[in-house]
Amino acid sequence: MPTCREEFSKGIIKGNPIFVLMLGLCPTLATTTSVKNAFAMGLAASAVLICSNVIVSAFRRFIPKAVRIPCFIVVIASFVTIVDMVMKGFFWEQSKSLSIFIPLIVVNCIILGRAEAFAYKSSVLRSLLDGAGAGLGFTLALMLVGTIREVLGAGTFWGYPIYLDSFSRPVYVPMTGLVLAPGAFIVLGLLMAFFRHLGNRRRRPDLREVTFE
Amino acid sequence: MNFGLIIQIAILNLFVQNFVIARFLGLCPFIGQSDDKKKALGMGVAVTFVMTLASFVTYLLFAYVLKPNSWFLTTFFGTIAEDGLVDVLKTASYILVIASLVQFVEMFLKRHVPALYRAMGIYLALITTNCAVLGVALLNTTDATMEMNLLTAVLQGFFAGLGFTLVMLLMAGIRERLQYLNVPRCMKGAPIAFLCTGLMALAFLGFAGMAN
Amino acid sequence: MTSFLLGSLLVLGLLALLLGIVLAIASRVFHVDVDPRIEQVEELLPGANCGGCGLAGCAMAAEQIVAGDASPNICPVCSADARAKIFELLGLAAQESEPKVARVLCGGGAACKEKDLYHGVDDCRAAVLVQGGAKACDFACIGLGSCVDACPFEAIFIGEDGLPHVIEERCTACGACERICPRHVIRVMPKKQVVWVKCSSHDPGKVVNKICQTGCIACRKCEKECPFDAIHVVDNLAVIDYEKCKLCGKCAKVCPKHAIIDIRALRRAAAKAAKQAEQPKQPAAADA
Repeated sequence: MPTCREEFSKGIIKGNPIFVLMLGLCPTLATTTSVKNAFAMGLAASAVLICSNVIVSAFRRFIPKAVRIPCFIVVIASFVTIVDMVMKGFFWEQSKSLSIFIPLIVVNCIILGRAEAFAYKSSVLRSLLDGAGAGLGFTLALMLVGTIREVLGAGTFWGYPIYLDSFSRPVYVPMTGLVLAPGAFIVLGLLMAFFRHLGNRRRRPDLREVTFE
Repeated sequence: MNFGLIIQIAILNLFVQNFVIARFLGLCPFIGQSDDKKKALGMGVAVTFVMTLASFVTYLLFAYVLKPNSWFLTTFFGTIAEDGLVDVLKTASYILVIASLVQFVEMFLKRHVPALYRAMGIYLALITTNCAVLGVALLNTTDATMEMNLLTAVLQGFFAGLGFTLVMLLMAGIRERLQYLNVPRCMKGAPIAFLCTGLMALAFLGFAGMAN
Repeated sequence: MTSFLLGSLLVLGLLALLLGIVLAIASRVFHVDVDPRIEQVEELLPGANCGGCGLAGCAMAAEQIVAGDASPNICPVCSADARAKIFELLGLAAQESEPKVARVLCGGGAACKEKDLYHGVDDCRAAVLVQGGAKACDFACIGLGSCVDACPFEAIFIGEDGLPHVIEERCTACGACERICPRHVIRVMPKKQVVWVKCSSHDPGKVVNKICQTGCIACRKCEKECPFDAIHVVDNLAVIDYEKCKLCGKCAKVCPKHAIIDIRALRRAAAKAAKQAEQPKQPAAADA
């Protein structure tokens, strides 16, 4: 039985939803045009993930196996609606820039996947930790991609221009292509390759000895 | 019906604002199922079918039930007619419609086209969680960028699905060749597919300005 | 406020009811008669959809097993327990399947001369289309690793000698390597056949002598040595008849080119060599 700390930390690096499990790719590419958007998206998705994991886990004995997926979707949709309306009420410009991707959290594979694979079978505490870990991993990954795209692509960080030196002359010319569609795919592809390379180096079994055949 | 409008919607959803390449919707099945041309075609056709039907039903739902001052609300719930039920119910009701449609398509395929049903396996049920289907429903109704009526909504759904199929087929063709190349170990599979998609996106940027 | 709540509940409720009715009608209209045993068999199968059976997934395998087109032994990943249950479900007598493993029937690799320099797609199937590949022998293993890529269990690797090596513990005898090899030199055979001919060349002995250091030259020494009349040279290649072969290993000892493998002898030699490598160190350690 993994410890509580392990339940939490497995979602951050080893089981990172974006780089390892490759779930939830749509919001990764669409909302990482700036660090602010990435952070907002990550927070929103984490909130829904934690809440839905807790509810599904709390009611797991009452949800029949045959209709469990529609039940999960209903629970997730409710929380997404709550998050959507909270954002529209308190963070209007953020909500505007994230547009359709807030309601699209309901079909984010991460949330449905964790509910099906974990929350339906585990206790409330563990589901909470699992959701928090995966949410944190998701947010960190989003912010990583967002940082690269914003700093190199628009020259700003969280809206503050950093490509200008103290005399407001540009130190480097930001590459707008990174903020557009092609840049998103290329940055994500390279990051995935990098993380996979790190993972391979750590656990490569040495199979290259020739036996007697 | 203005023929020019149809062409405009077609070009918009197929090329300029292609759902996968430009709007980043429908990426999970795109990466998962595009390594084989037959799988890609099957998935694309199924998704197009679901998207067209979903656009039809969700638009009717939006126009006659959820919208402020819709027929349903003014007839039965006069007090909240002005606010409408859009924000509250859009996510839940759209996803309910889509899930049912996918179930319907599954039953239909199982009976009439069993070969496709078996070939798609579990990915047919996963169309429910395809961002593209819910995305097109939202883009037709609550986040529409231009004046929408039932016909334009259905057309948008159809051409969006067609755009998805187009990009899936292109990607499948590329990935079938990629299998045999000396790709570095860390890049095999998804990373190199993403890089190719990025290059494709760069090419598709050339369509910008053709329609808006 | 309450009318909001009521309105939302009513709309969602009515929608769900309507959709439920439509789906219920559809399930009647599109009803397909399915043998309930197919689902039961599918439950017993591992559900990994690995393709090891050669079919497109566990659902397909379940269908074919129930239809009688495939034996439950077709699934290599299935546990013996589950397999027995499937046999029971279908009312068939349980058949023990013989453990099988993939083996390479070529000893060439680095020992086989090359006739050309091949520059192209890194795949045996592609190489074989270009003048039959780079190897001088027309029946040899090409060594570019199509089998390695095809194996879903990562049980094959290309060794330093240029030949594929099968990790027997990982091999499930699914046959993917056998299906993909353009030269058919890697084949699935019963594990207990520990003596086999490690050559597939039908070229005459003179030719083989020139191009390969370990190929069968059809000298018939094995045929003369065998006490059970189990090995014969057919079409310039030694062939073992496993109905008669008692796995004594005499042919392997006598073959001048070492083209017949007796894996037990090789394992013993390797174990002895490993022990001898340790021994000189031990007296030194005892001294110190």
